[in-house]
Amino acid sequence: MSELSGMLWAEFRKAIRSRMPLWTSLGSLFLPIAIAFLLFVARNPEVSRKLGLVGAKANLVAYSGTDWEAYLGLFTQMVAAGEFILLVLSISWVFGREFTDGTIKDLLAVPVRRSSILLAKFILIAAWAGLLTLVIFASGFLMGALLQLPGGSVPILLEGSGRVVLTACLTTLVVLPYAFFASAGRGYLLPLGMAVLALMMANLAVVIGWGEIFPWSIPLLLAQAKEPLPQASPWIVIITGLVGMAGTWLWWMKADQSR
Amino acid sequence: MKTAIETESLGKRYGEIQAVEGLSLRVSEGEIYAFLGLNGAGKTTTIRMLLGMIKPTAGSATVLGTRVRMGSVKPWAAVGYMVEDPHAYEELTVRENLEVARRLHPGTPGKAVGEIIERLGLAAYADRRTGTLSHGNAQRLGLAKAMLHKPRLLILDEPANGLDPMGIVEIRELLLELTAGQGGTVFLSSHILAEVSRLAGRVGIIHQGRLLREMDAATLERERSRRFLLNVREIEPARKVLLAAGHPATRQMDGTLELQDKDAIEKPEEINRLLVEAGFPPTRLVVEEEPLEEFFLRLVGMGENRHE
Repeated sequence: MSELSGMLWAEFRKAIRSRMPLWTSLGSLFLPIAIAFLLFVARNPEVSRKLGLVGAKANLVAYSGTDWEAYLGLFTQMVAAGEFILLVLSISWVFGREFTDGTIKDLLAVPVRRSSILLAKFILIAAWAGLLTLVIFASGFLMGALLQLPGGSVPILLEGSGRVVLTACLTTLVVLPYAFFASAGRGYLLPLGMAVLALMMANLAVVIGWGEIFPWSIPLLLAQAKEPLPQASPWIVIITGLVGMAGTWLWWMKADQSR
Repeated sequence: MKTAIETESLGKRYGEIQAVEGLSLRVSEGEIYAFLGLNGAGKTTTIRMLLGMIKPTAGSATVLGTRVRMGSVKPWAAVGYMVEDPHAYEELTVRENLEVARRLHPGTPGKAVGEIIERLGLAAYADRRTGTLSHGNAQRLGLAKAMLHKPRLLILDEPANGLDPMGIVEIRELLLELTAGQGGTVFLSSHILAEVSRLAGRVGIIHQGRLLREMDAATLERERSRRFLLNVREIEPARKVLLAAGHPATRQMDGTLELQDKDAIEKPEEINRLLVEAGFPPTRLVVEEEPLEEFFLRLVGMGENRHE
């Protein structure tokens, strides 16, 4: 048994037993269901009138989601924002819990390379991101089908699906530095605080026109698909992810673990 | 005899605070070495440096012939450890936690998990989530993780913390078995001298980050001061008799006479005979050993003023 497979066993067992993937998957269902509900309300004027304010909101959403193309656009934005938050929670738990639970010290003086331990954690995060994307994707398509949205041609569905997957990949990459924040902050607070900061900065960057070069804005811009992103944008995101992983590795290798 | 642990002028400074300074010690394979100190003396910092968890700011440490470096995989295949309070993944059972520990030591056979569960008396809790364990059983699990892969060297930080008297005896027997039966080495820290005096072959005393003394168990016993206490009905005449015989006695507040001269302590029957012949038969005679705690405080220079 290689050391990586052993570490993968340990990481997946911890995650499954904690039920965190289950809770985050359930959390990821919220947005597709909410969007579908609003579309349903907008398409049923009687219900809309009865619900008042919700009806007004639903009309706004419905305006942009009356066919598959618009619905998938909306849906991709949900992936960018919702999956970011859920993945920050996940990565904060995977790395930060070792510090808050005091189990980090059991991982340090062992005949398994720290890089293998970290790689197993990052693979878990990738699988977790895949699971969340799949859940959002499947539930979103199911809702679209149930609502019998028009304009569901194969090219539109494929293009929309490709954009969802690409947005999910970019979102996963910009979440990787949070492994470093969870490690350096020895828990959950720093990564969660940094996530709030990143969302605020991402919006600000878009407003002042720097969204294409600010890593945490790029998945949102891709999701909005208003205009093509510069070629450098995906690279900025990839580099951000790699820097996050390298920073985490360096911190685990070099920082004193005195708690 | 081979050396299991060797440190040379090991030191760790955190800003203005010198946590450990100039620590040089040597532990041979097959011995139980106790590292004794008050809370905050530098025991855990030293252990973390030995395990490559923190980087020394001075000196070096060698464990089982390998110079300790942070992030290295050597020599940990042959080392088991427990640092401070034991922690485990609370969502996993005892058995699953040990399975994780087994995978952290590749090459450890699957049956080792069942064996260590039996050996440490965890069978009744094996399939219970560790979040529900008592502190004593969590301590057992910590020790089980440390001993799972049959290490040549065990480094244990306060291993008896939280254990009931039976648990302490069991742990003592386990550690003695590991050293005497299997040639293993144990380096343990403690702040309780009574606990280590029954177990350790050698004791190192650390105070304020510095190694004050190293001594073997026999020296430890020898250096504990003893005193001879006696009570008589007529105190002053009896004291004069003793003084005339070359045994200066001091009178305590409660009227007890205290003798500290070696002859009196080693031959209390002589003192008894002397006083009986002088017509002052003792009503009580006792040779009292200095309590271990007081001995320890005396060694670290806190015995005099701790009541202030």
